[in-house]
This record gives sequence, C-alpha cells and structure tokens, in this order.
Amino acid sequence: MMYAHFPVIAVMGLFLGAFLVEIFGTKNKYIRNTIVMIFVLLAAVLTFALIKPVMVNGEIITYWMGSWEPVEGWAIGIGYEVDALGLFFGLFCAATFVLSAIYSFRYMDSDDHLGHYYTLFLMLCGGVLGLVFTGDLFNMFIMVEIITFASAALAAFRNYKFGALEAGFKYLVIGSVGSSMILFGVALIYLQTHTLNIAQIGNEMAGNLTPVTILALGLLIMGFSVKAFIFPFHTPVVDSYATAPAPISMMFSGTVNKIGVLGLIRVLYQMFRVMDKEAMQMTLVVIGMATMFIAVTCALAQHRLKRLLAYHSISQVGYVIMAIGLATPLGVTGGLFHAMNHTVFKGLLFLCAGAVFYAAGTTNMDKLGGLSKKMPLTCACFIVGAFAISGIPPFNGFASKWMIYLAAYNKGMETGNFLYIAATIVAVVTSVMTLASFIKVTQTVFFGQLKATNDYIRDVPLSMRIPMWIGSALCIFLGVGYNFVNKTILNPAMNAAFSAERYFDVMMGDPAAASAGTNYTINLSVWNPILWLVLFAIVFAAVAIAIITTKKTVGKVMLSGSDNQDPDGKYAVFFSGERSQYSHVVGSDMFWGFRKNFSKYFDVFHKFHNGNVNDYATYCVVGGIIITIIVFIFVR
Amino acid sequence: MIVLTTILQILIFPGFLFASFIGLLLAGIDRKVLARMQHRIGPPIIQPMYDFFKLCGKETIVPAAANRHVYMLAPWASLCSLIVMCLFIPVGGLTFFSGNADLIIIIYLLTIPAVCLIIGGSSSGSPYAAVGISREMVTMIAYELPLIIVFLAIARVVGRGELVFSIKTVAEYQIANGALVSHIALIPAAIAFLLIIPAEVGTQPFDTAEAETEICEGPLVEYSGKPLALFKLNSSLKMFIMSALFTTLFIGVVYTGNVIADVVIFVAICCLVTIICMTLVHAVTARLKIEHLFKFYWTVVAGIALVSLILVWAGL
Amino acid sequence: MSVLSKIIADSASKSPWIYHINTGSCNGCDIELVAVLTPRYDAERFGFKLTGSPRHADIVVVSGPITTQSEERLKRTLEQVPEPKCVVSLGSCPQSGNVFKGSYSIEGPLEKYVHVDVTVAGCTPKPEAVIEGLYKAAGILKKKREAMKK
Repeated sequence: MMYAHFPVIAVMGLFLGAFLVEIFGTKNKYIRNTIVMIFVLLAAVLTFALIKPVMVNGEIITYWMGSWEPVEGWAIGIGYEVDALGLFFGLFCAATFVLSAIYSFRYMDSDDHLGHYYTLFLMLCGGVLGLVFTGDLFNMFIMVEIITFASAALAAFRNYKFGALEAGFKYLVIGSVGSSMILFGVALIYLQTHTLNIAQIGNEMAGNLTPVTILALGLLIMGFSVKAFIFPFHTPVVDSYATAPAPISMMFSGTVNKIGVLGLIRVLYQMFRVMDKEAMQMTLVVIGMATMFIAVTCALAQHRLKRLLAYHSISQVGYVIMAIGLATPLGVTGGLFHAMNHTVFKGLLFLCAGAVFYAAGTTNMDKLGGLSKKMPLTCACFIVGAFAISGIPPFNGFASKWMIYLAAYNKGMETGNFLYIAATIVAVVTSVMTLASFIKVTQTVFFGQLKATNDYIRDVPLSMRIPMWIGSALCIFLGVGYNFVNKTILNPAMNAAFSAERYFDVMMGDPAAASAGTNYTINLSVWNPILWLVLFAIVFAAVAIAIITTKKTVGKVMLSGSDNQDPDGKYAVFFSGERSQYSHVVGSDMFWGFRKNFSKYFDVFHKFHNGNVNDYATYCVVGGIIITIIVFIFVR
Repeated sequence: MIVLTTILQILIFPGFLFASFIGLLLAGIDRKVLARMQHRIGPPIIQPMYDFFKLCGKETIVPAAANRHVYMLAPWASLCSLIVMCLFIPVGGLTFFSGNADLIIIIYLLTIPAVCLIIGGSSSGSPYAAVGISREMVTMIAYELPLIIVFLAIARVVGRGELVFSIKTVAEYQIANGALVSHIALIPAAIAFLLIIPAEVGTQPFDTAEAETEICEGPLVEYSGKPLALFKLNSSLKMFIMSALFTTLFIGVVYTGNVIADVVIFVAICCLVTIICMTLVHAVTARLKIEHLFKFYWTVVAGIALVSLILVWAGL
Repeated sequence: MSVLSKIIADSASKSPWIYHINTGSCNGCDIELVAVLTPRYDAERFGFKLTGSPRHADIVVVSGPITTQSEERLKRTLEQVPEPKCVVSLGSCPQSGNVFKGSYSIEGPLEKYVHVDVTVAGCTPKPEAVIEGLYKAAGILKKKREAMKK
C-alpha cells in the first residue's frame, strides 16, 4: 500500500519545488540547482519505483486526494490512478526531466532571472507528471492549463531573442484555443454523466453515446490534438521549439506533445471506447499520415537547425497517431514504443542543437560548417540521434517504425482496406525523407570546411555532454534490446490501453474482484540485433587494425575564409586545383532535385505557414470542426 | 560451435569471400559484355579484382578537412551491412539465420550502404562530395517509393499471418506455386524492380550521384587507397545482392538436388539479371539529370509498381 | 603475406587509372587521349580507365604548355595524387613548350615541377603512341609499387 502515495508525492514535490525555488533560489545558484535537482530526482525515483508493482505485478495504483473515496459508487473526490499506460508515459517523462535539468544548469548559466526559469520548469514538470498520473478529467484540464502557460512563458524566456515573444504569444493563443475546447468538452461530459472521474465516465458512456457526448468527443479530440501538435494544429509550436532554450525544446518534444498523445488515448480508448469503429480508426490514420508527410516535407525546406528539428517532432508524432489509430495490439505497441523512442532521440537531437548553439552562438545552417573537428563528441551523438530518427537499424527508431509498418500492413491485409497500405507507403517514404533532412544537417553543420570565423569554437562542458551520452546510449539500448523492453514495459502498457473495464473496476470497485483485462502478447523474433552485434565486433576489430596500420600523416590546411596560402596541398580538399579554403558549400538548399519537382507543393505550404496567428487559430477551428463533423456522422 | 559456424558463414560462405568473389565477377562480366556491345574487346573478366588489389596497394590520403574516424569507418560499416544482407538471401536454397529475413529489414539494410557512402563523402569536406551526396540522397528518396510498393505487392500475394514480409514465406510460396514472375499481376512489379536495380547500384543512366565527368565521382572524390577499394567492393557486392534479391523474390530457387549445382544456377540467374537490367541499359542510355531521375522514379516506376499493387489487391 | 603483396604489385600494372590535366593545351592532345578509349583503340582492354578525381589516379597525363594561370593548380593537383603514381607528358607542349615557347605566359616545361616518367612527343601524338606510352607507364607503376614496399 506504500506505493499508493508515490505518484502524488512525485507531483506535489515538483510543485513544492517550484515555490521553494521562487522563495530561496533567486539569488544563489547552488541553492537553486540543489532544490531543482532534489525534486526532479525525487519525482524520477518515485516514478521508477512504481515499475515493480505496476509493470511487473500488474497492479493499478489508486489514490483518493484527501481520502474522498467514492460514495455509493460515485466518485466525488479527485482520484489519482496509475495504470501501466500512464506509468509508461511517466517513465520517459521523468527521465526527460532529469536530463533536461542537468543540461539546463550549464546551458542557462549566462541568462539572468534563472529563479523564474526553474520555477516555470518545475511547474511544467509537475503539470506533465500530474496529467500522466491523474484519473480525473477536470484535474487533467487543470494540468493542461499549467503546461500551456508554463510552456508559453518558457518559449519566450529568452525574450531578447528575435521572435521569442512572438512565439510565446502564438503558443498562448493556440494553446488557449485547445484548452478552452477541452474545458467545453469536460463541461458537456459532466452535464451528461455527472462525474469527472475518467474511469467512471468511461463506464457510464460505454455503448451509450448521446449527441452531446459526441460533441464533447470532437472537442476533446481537437483539444488534445492541439497539445500533441498534430496537423493542422502544429503551426504555432515550430516557433516555440525554435526560440525556447534547448532543454525546454527537449521538454516540448519529449513530454508536452506526448501528454497530448496520452490524452487522446485516454479519451478514445478509455473514456469513449470508440476505437473499435472503423471510421474513427481511419480518421486517426489519415490525420497521422497527413501530419508525418507534410511536416517532413516542410522540414526539408528549413534553414535553421531547431526549426528543422521542430518539424521532425511533428512528423514523428504523426507516426504515433497513425499507429494508435490502427487499434491493433501490434499497432498500439509500435505507437507507444515510438512515442518513447521519439522522446529519447529527439531529446538527444535538441540537446546537440543546443550544444551547437552554446558553442557557436547560432543555429543557422548557412553560417556553420566543419564543426566535427571542434566538437567530435557532439557530432557523434548527433549522428546516433539522426540515424535513430531515420529508422536505421540497429537503433531504436527502426524497431518502433518497423512495428508500425507491420501493424499497418497487417491491418490492411485483414480489412482489405487500401488506406492502410497507403499509410505503410507514406510511412516508409517519410522515413527516408527524414533521413534526407538529417543528412543535410550533418553535412552543413558538422562536416565540410570549418570557417575561419568559427575557429574559436570548443566542445561543450561535461555536464552538458553527460545527458547527450545517456541519450545516445539509450538509442542503442532500446534498439538492440527491443524484445526486452517489449516484454517489461511495452506489453503491460499496451494491454492497459485496451483494458478500460479493468481501469474502471480497480478505481471504483474492489481491486481484488477486478476483471483481468486483455492479455495480448507481441512476439517479434524476426529481427535479431544480436547478429549485428557479433558482426560489428568482428568489423570493429578489422577497423582498429586498419586505423592502427595507416600512418597518421595529416597536413595543415587553412580554414575557409582566410586569405593565406595553404601550406600543404596534398592534404587539401580536391577542388579542381583551386585553394581549398574557397571550397566551403552552404548546403541549406540541398536536394533541389527533389524540391524542383515539388515546387508547387512547397508554394502551397509556404503560404500555409504564413506566421499570422489569426490564420493559425482559424486552421485550428476549421480542423476541429471537420473532426467534429466526422465524429458526428460516422461514430454514432 | 554455433558461434564458429556463424563466423564461418560471415567470413566465407555466403558472407565476405563468396559474395565478394561473385560480386567482383559480376562487375567484370558487366564490363566485358558492355565492351562487346560497343564493339570493343574490353577488359579481362577479372579486371575488377585487379582494380581492388591495386587500390589496396595505394597510399591512403585523409584530407585535413575530413573527420578522420567517420571517414575511415564509413566503408567498413557499409561492408558490414552488405555482408549481413548476404546472409539473409537464400543463395541456392541454403538458408542462414533460419531464413526469417524480413523484407522491410532488407529495405532498411539496403539504405545503410547508401547512407555510409553519404556520410563518408560528407565527412571528407569536399564541395564535389556535397553535391554528390545531395544527389545520392534524392536518388534514394526516388527509388524507395517504388521499392516499398513492389514489396507490398509481393507481401499481398504470399502473405500469411504475422510473417507477411518474410523472405522464407516468399521462397516457400514459390516452391509450391511456381515463380512469382509468372504471376500475371506481379509482372509490372518485376519490371519496376528491374528498373530500381540500376539506381540502387548506381550505374548509368542513374549514376547521377557519382558522375565522374562532372562532379568527380561525387561522394568518393576524396577517397583513395584501401577505403576506396572497399567502396568499389561494396558497389560490386550491391550488384550481387540486388540481382540475388530479384532472383529470390521473383524467380525463386531451382532445386536440382545437388547443392553446388543449385548455387551455380543461382549465380547464373543473377548474372543474367545483371546483364539485362544494368549492362543493356548502360549501353544504350546517357546519364539523367537529378530532377529527371526523381521524376522518372516517382511517376513511371512508381506507377508501374502501383499497377501491380492494385492488380494484386483486386485479386488477380 | 608475400603472396598478397605479389598480387597487389602485379595488379598495380594491370589496372592503371588515368587522370588528365589540361594546362592550356590546344585540345588536340586531349581529343587524341579520348580517342584512345574509343572502340577503335580500346585502351580499356589493358585496364585503363579515365577517373574524375586525382585521388583515384595512378597515371597523371599532363597536356599543354603550362600557362601561368594553370601552374599553381597543376602543382596542387599533382601533389594530391596518392603514391605510387606516374606522370606522363602528352604531346610536345609540356616537353618543350612547342610553338608557345618564349611566351610571357608560359611557365613550362613540366620537368621543372615534377619528375616525368614517360614522355609522348608529337603534335599531336598518334593514339598508338599514346597507348604505348601509357602502357610503359603502367609497367613503371609496378616497379614503383615494389620500391615503395621496400
């Protein structure tokens, strides 16, 4: 029973920490960092301690705030309910908090008003963790509000930067549109079911949807879609990702858009239980396809590193939404796994982008080049992250994307619906385009000629490198050991998504008499990464010999942009006999062979992302209305 | 014991030695046949082996602008993934690693050599390489779309249960029902696959990325000595793997009862595929521009593949 | 190991790749060099191949009288060719300056900058002569490889 207190202590601790930082931590850096670290670590430890009861033993942990237990079967207090699904999201969110906090200490060193920064940071953490663990719909809405306001403020935290305030404003407006939709939906549901407890709502509404609750469903889908930043609600967040400090960008992609996904799962699978309807599945698959493809093509056209990463964040969430829309055990497993993997590799990539910004003072890809000489470890971490997000085996992105392809195709084979086949094709092509845009980044930022003006650059300090190393290690571990991950945490989480009755029984009734829930198992033995490891061991031995036997004669060559004669022509880059210092290419406009063929398409989306908040709000409302109409027509 | 057999499989058959030998031989046959088509005498068939050994004896220059580790590691990583792929292909009906290879994994393993070429070229810091990798990447986006459609069409025909994409399932299906190329709905898919092979291997007219006369062999421009030898070997290996993949997927394995005869027949079919889709096309075409290449693959080849997929889906 | 190094040394003469530098040539020799690779003369039967990058080359063929503009580029490109390498001067221009000798913009002959292994004279040399010169250079490559090993 001791475990029952863990989730609430973790969440409360983060909020308490936010106040303590504001009171004691505004002046002294060490006190502030200690407070932040204590509460973030506390949250992480308490969350990870829940693995044993929830994931291994299969319990569902419930906690009634102030002991306001249900009266005559009606929930009257706020309940926390940690099932495997919530805990799964909680695990990687908590890990993200820790890495982001460690990275922040050094990265934000040169800013002032850091007391406010960490207050907002802890509020954001608390909001995310609260939303993940809560079992109450109105509490969920409150947490969404906390997250929205903390995010908007953090996006604009470096308000001396160009566009930061604008980004915060956009986020605030669009986020508020989403939040008000959620509030409206909550109100309608309360009107119909007289309860705010998610489990009980699910039970009350099972097979008993009225027009009012269907309207609420449309509004809630729209609201959480805004939080998950999926097409067409993604427009404001690109700016926020780009202007926020790197650890906050990591929090956005790792936690904030994941809680949107969690919200959608809770709404669709556990409250309304409409995922068995084919129209609903197809709607989500289409939204996912559109999100992943449109966002990735937009990413190909970006010149700034963090904006590019932002579009990829949106694109990868498209995969998750599509996989969840498939509503098969394999699909949901793939979707959840991809959500976790996305947190890992996108966090890693944002940290690398932050390291580049910290070292070079810019993330404009036209002004960078040759940084692998100066920051080799950051470069290595970035390449790992880039391969992972592009789904290159044996990194983690491959394992989850592969599950999603298989799930989509199997679904197509079962139903005979061509849409799922198209979804598979789009997913694979998107993956290749993701690779293309990351090749562009490595080429323009890390390889090529180093500019003379960038010669002062040094690699980032240790406390910033450690989170990147952890991220890289996780990318490899999750990819190679995906079977282990699948058995330990993915499978319980997936089954929890399908076991809405069990969720209700444990929350409201007697835990001992609860129904067992579903018990699907996913067994994928085809892809065996161990084989790869054996092979890599052999190959690395060969490479070590090859590198030792080659002589280490490296000449000295002038940097690009300097005017001196190059002292050693032999080791200069071949440039038809010209001096190599003139050979730097800015590659931000690479892939024109692709872009030329799609110029009309790019024109359309250039106009679509016009930076006007009014237009963006209109897209949101129009998208929401379309979803509501679809829901009304097909999901009755 | 299992470890020892695995290592032997990796190093000798069907791994490194066998595949390299066959790959270089195919490259030699390609050059010889091409020369005969142009009324030339042509180089000896073992010319690619001479090239390989000569490059091994050359000095290796690492440009000062290059990232040394990435630059030296890229060809090895590429070789590694190609050898893994050799193990997934049932050469002459002999299956390795229980034959449970998955077509989607094959697609992704196929991207690794291209990615290694791109990363290696990129790390050399050359402007020609920058142009080359951009083209290589666009080529990759171009052929990946028809490739996945072809694979989905095959999976629909042979698919059963969980292992829809397994190569083993494809092989078993062909033993039971005859070669897939005789399946009327899959003929367009076979043609599309044949058109994908030259782009995947990078031969004319789809060698835009490595155009030696305009961008000095693109990503390979700075490579010399052993790493270059490895990249040339990788290219030959890719030639073997792609033709073997076509043989496995569309023609199947001919069983005569004798293992050696099976392997010889398999290699002969690979050779035929190479000549048809690479040498013939090479002899009569000139290099395409990159935007035309992209357009060709996303309209013509993807269209052909899609016809096949739709026919298969319609139950033909 | 000795077998392998013997194979490598033998291969050195059997797969000579050519890189061609034009240092202000009138294009006559360049056309003849390309003619060598056509079906009529087919130098590919000896394994000759024209490469695009000096990093891949074994034999550097220099044509033209080496103008002031091309001098710096020539020197840099010659340095970038990995060992063992051969330098072949094609036509009379790199050898003597030919009709351009004495001009203010001519920095030749080629001997001033690099050791020339084979000289193919003539304005322009016949394709047969070019093939013979290249074939001799290929033989020199093998010797250079053996010397390099020692």
